[in-house]
Amino acid sequence: MLGPFTYCTWLACSVLEAGVVVCAVKRGAFRRYLPLNLWMILELLSGVFRFYVLYSFGLQSSEYYYFYYYSEALTTIGLYFALSSLYAHVLEELKAKAYVRTGAFLLLLGTAVFSYLIVRQSADRMTTLFVVELSQNLYFVGLVLTYLLWGAILKLRETRTRLIQFVLSLGVLFSLFAANYAMRNLYPNLQWLWGSLPQLFDCFLPLAWCYTFLKIPEEARLMPARLAVAPR
Amino acid sequence: MSRRLIVVLLVMLVLVGAMGLKTVVTAHSDGSVLIAGNGGGGPVPPSPMNGGGGPVPPSPSPVPPTPWK
Repeated sequence: MLGPFTYCTWLACSVLEAGVVVCAVKRGAFRRYLPLNLWMILELLSGVFRFYVLYSFGLQSSEYYYFYYYSEALTTIGLYFALSSLYAHVLEELKAKAYVRTGAFLLLLGTAVFSYLIVRQSADRMTTLFVVELSQNLYFVGLVLTYLLWGAILKLRETRTRLIQFVLSLGVLFSLFAANYAMRNLYPNLQWLWGSLPQLFDCFLPLAWCYTFLKIPEEARLMPARLAVAPR
Repeated sequence: MSRRLIVVLLVMLVLVGAMGLKTVVTAHSDGSVLIAGNGGGGPVPPSPMNGGGGPVPPSPSPVPPTPWK
């Protein structure tokens, strides 16, 4: 399970995550997209500490097991807030920042309560199961929110290319993981493939965001509505 | 006031939609966990959801006898 492929993709992913932050600082967009950058830093730190725990205790250790799932939950919550900040950017002309904040908090609370209700029967391992359930539920909430955000971008005729690029790459990431999960259940014999692909998918988002910060200026504009409705 | 109610309604709709989607997707799964990304990389340990794989934390120490018996 731990081969050169795992280590290479892990290293590439960490370098790209650091690259996103460096590119954002270089282009003067660190504060403007602060939640996205903080999430990338959280992912980077999570990866570094995971490596330390793995190196110190081993893959089969309970230390790595707990650290993996707890850090996973933290980074998923970070992703959730990054997504909420994209909502705030898209809806900023409607002056709905306070409503987005309230909605994001309520949704997180609702997801946590739902996760607790699912795992409350397992008293012996409830905290761990709760953390994993919360991560998984937040994944689905994030998936729905990303598609809704894309709908809002089309409806509001959002033209900022950078913002569109951020949302689309998040949508592609969620879709890739969902497709991989579906394929794993459809073809369980190819477990080696479905187990390896997520490590490649992980590199996609920081790569796309690096490109966005480097190549697309803040002033760039695009008309996504034209992509959705083809005039005849 | 009505905008706040709309926010609450939207939150509930998203939550119901997401949990419904999750139920549909995971209904026929092998018990593996579907998570957003890999939170910084690294090999995935066994899923705790299918009842096996992960270590169980130590059970709490036995309760001492009550002094008033």
